[in-house]
Amino acid sequence: MNRVGNLLRTTLGNALPAIVFGALFLGFWEWAVRFFELKPYFLTAPSAIWEQFTSNFTLIRGAATVSGTNALIGLLAGTVLGVAMSFVLSRFGFLNQLITPLAVALNAVPIFVLVAVLNNMYSITSEIPRRIMVALVVYFIVLVNVARGLTQVSPTHVELMRSYAASDVAILRKVRIPNAIPFLFVSLKIAAPAAVITAFVSEYFGGSQNGLGSRISSNIANSKNAAAWAYVLAACLLGLLFYLFSVVMESLNRKGEVK
Amino acid sequence: MFVAALALVVVIWETYKALGPADGGTLLGVRILPRTSEYAMPHVWDMFSRFNRPEVRGSDRSVFDAVLAGAWYSFRLSAAGFVMGGVVGVGLAVLMARFKLVQRGVLPYLVVSQTVPLIALAPLVVSWGGKLEVGPFVWPRWLSASVLGAFLAFFPIAVGTLRGLAAASAASVELMQSYAASWTKTLFKLRFPTAVPYMVPAFRLGASASVIGVVVAEISTGLRGGIGRLIIEYAREATGDPAKVYTAIFGAAALGLTMAGVVIAVDVFVMRNRPKESVS
Amino acid sequence: MSAVSIRNASKVFNLGKSNQVDALRNVSLDVKPGEFVSLIGPSGCGKSTLLRLIANLLEPTNGDVVVNDKPAAQARLDQDYGMAFQQAGLFEWRTVRKNIELPLELKGWDKNARALRANEMLQLVQLPEFGDHYPWQLSGGMQQRIAIARALAAHPPLLLMDEPFGALDEMTREYMQGELLRICAATGTTVVFVTHSIPEAVYLSNRVVVMSPRPGRITKVVDVSLGGERNEDTRNRTAFFEAITAVREGLRGMHAAHVGLGNDDR
Repeated sequence: MNRVGNLLRTTLGNALPAIVFGALFLGFWEWAVRFFELKPYFLTAPSAIWEQFTSNFTLIRGAATVSGTNALIGLLAGTVLGVAMSFVLSRFGFLNQLITPLAVALNAVPIFVLVAVLNNMYSITSEIPRRIMVALVVYFIVLVNVARGLTQVSPTHVELMRSYAASDVAILRKVRIPNAIPFLFVSLKIAAPAAVITAFVSEYFGGSQNGLGSRISSNIANSKNAAAWAYVLAACLLGLLFYLFSVVMESLNRKGEVK
Repeated sequence: MFVAALALVVVIWETYKALGPADGGTLLGVRILPRTSEYAMPHVWDMFSRFNRPEVRGSDRSVFDAVLAGAWYSFRLSAAGFVMGGVVGVGLAVLMARFKLVQRGVLPYLVVSQTVPLIALAPLVVSWGGKLEVGPFVWPRWLSASVLGAFLAFFPIAVGTLRGLAAASAASVELMQSYAASWTKTLFKLRFPTAVPYMVPAFRLGASASVIGVVVAEISTGLRGGIGRLIIEYAREATGDPAKVYTAIFGAAALGLTMAGVVIAVDVFVMRNRPKESVS
Repeated sequence: MSAVSIRNASKVFNLGKSNQVDALRNVSLDVKPGEFVSLIGPSGCGKSTLLRLIANLLEPTNGDVVVNDKPAAQARLDQDYGMAFQQAGLFEWRTVRKNIELPLELKGWDKNARALRANEMLQLVQLPEFGDHYPWQLSGGMQQRIAIARALAAHPPLLLMDEPFGALDEMTREYMQGELLRICAATGTTVVFVTHSIPEAVYLSNRVVVMSPRPGRITKVVDVSLGGERNEDTRNRTAFFEAITAVREGLRGMHAAHVGLGNDDR
């Protein structure tokens, strides 16, 4: 029991500067807005933001659900497709040569602008363009990472399996896939926040106006800045939620491992 | 190889266009297949030929010129944002390396911030344009886009640089101690050079982040002159002119690639004398 | 006058906590100028700790460390010694020449003086053609020679070495030992050398200091009387083997005592 106590104490001790800093930051923000009488269009006080957040909570939750659903569906679709494609890539090495430079180049490019054309391919009220966009972004992230996991196996392990006259499928099952699983979870930790961000940004391109991003824009346009900040807070919480989800998935996977 | 990949994409595009339903379709009951009519999915060669023709019926300027101008404008904003974010990011990293307390207080937020959609702040920052005044200086609207780019770029740069600064081997640090070298001397002669291989990927992330920040800022408020606004405008005109929006998209892609290219060129130069190993 | 004088030095890590370690207890040692002294002993005997006390990279819990007639801290500030580690520790982003110049830069030497001295050191370690190469282009042995050149660049009177040849293969090691003796004879440097290898300690030193662990202390000092001139034949001479035996017995005696007492806190 003493060890748990020690562990708690050290964790808290480690977290303390961060907590203190966060509290000081919020406190300073609040004070600065009041003291300098900052106009709401510049900075809104944390207290006002919180007030808006709680009073509009149902609306906010609704918008968050829309954006969140888009992100989630895109995340799932992109992950499934990415994993499937990575198997293909690992089987046909030359495809790997083809796809990887494409994926690397796409990293540098703001591909979410494709939503503009995706919107034209579907009806104006459809959420599908956003989901496709998220799926596309997630697909490349998962693809590159899982393909790496499937192909970058220890040569010693492969040599060992060949000495057992194991078939390619057996090598896949017993060496490549176990090697790739941590890569999958690592890529999820990147892809989950990326899904939220992409779902978000996609809303700026027009189309259905039910998500968080659109709400923020419209609130700003109506000079309701405090409400806009409340939606920003919701967006951040949504992103955190997705990230925590991916972290939990990763730790669940780790449970079976020997530490 | 890269060209082959692009060719593959073109083939897939045209194949689907040839085979797919003109009015969209359903897959497993979900209306998921995109439309393949001329207006929704132009031919690839139409997209390219569109570059040469005038931007607006009767205007002198070709689409190519318009897109180039837009992309160049956004590039300058991204570059400015990248530099700002870089300076602040590196500065904060040095501060965190020097003062453990600052590191423990601030680093968790920096790490978490990368998982959170900070671009939600885009409309807010852009709305400062024209309204915010500090003495005689009125906040120009384009500065918001750069600031947003800087804001997004600064997080990965700060985290990566800090990692690099902390990466000096214990033996090297002992060596510098044996020379009775001050912390600043050790910083410049040991820690920064050791940090360079870590700063390289961090700066690449920062570069693409600043592009994203600028483009999103432009899109969320239609900032004049940038490629983001062009995309929105052309997308609206897609009913009559389907190929035009693709030209703007190519422009945005070129913007991102150029930015990345500049950073990579600097990387290669900076790492030219180092042994060929990578740092993950 | 001593180059290094240690009086009743002790070093305790984590004093008062559950993981307290008595690294050194009441160690006293005098090293004469120009002498070559080796510290040898099993893992955990405190030889590296003792070296770092001399280098003032650690402070003694008790006792005094005097280097070049000054307190060790002052000697470090005055740069009265050079140090070499097991990993050559050259900066991979600097050329060989610039690596050697590092301590001189920190002392504020001007460009020309530095360049001159760097060339001199490159000549001394017999690698003059490699000045503009990068460390990763050199073999392990060559990198260590550059590390030694760097350690001696400011012509310090004292050289501290922590198993510098430990990562090298046997042939390179023997060659490096000869090189080290040649260089030290040319510069008249005092050397304190930490090693695991008995033949190495005997070949290089005037005296071999045998240490024992937990707590770290000096158990025996072996005078190696091989005479001044050492070369390849030295390793075949009877006096060499006798000295090795003396050192080994010093190590074994303490080891036997260790086992005899049934200490399993290794």
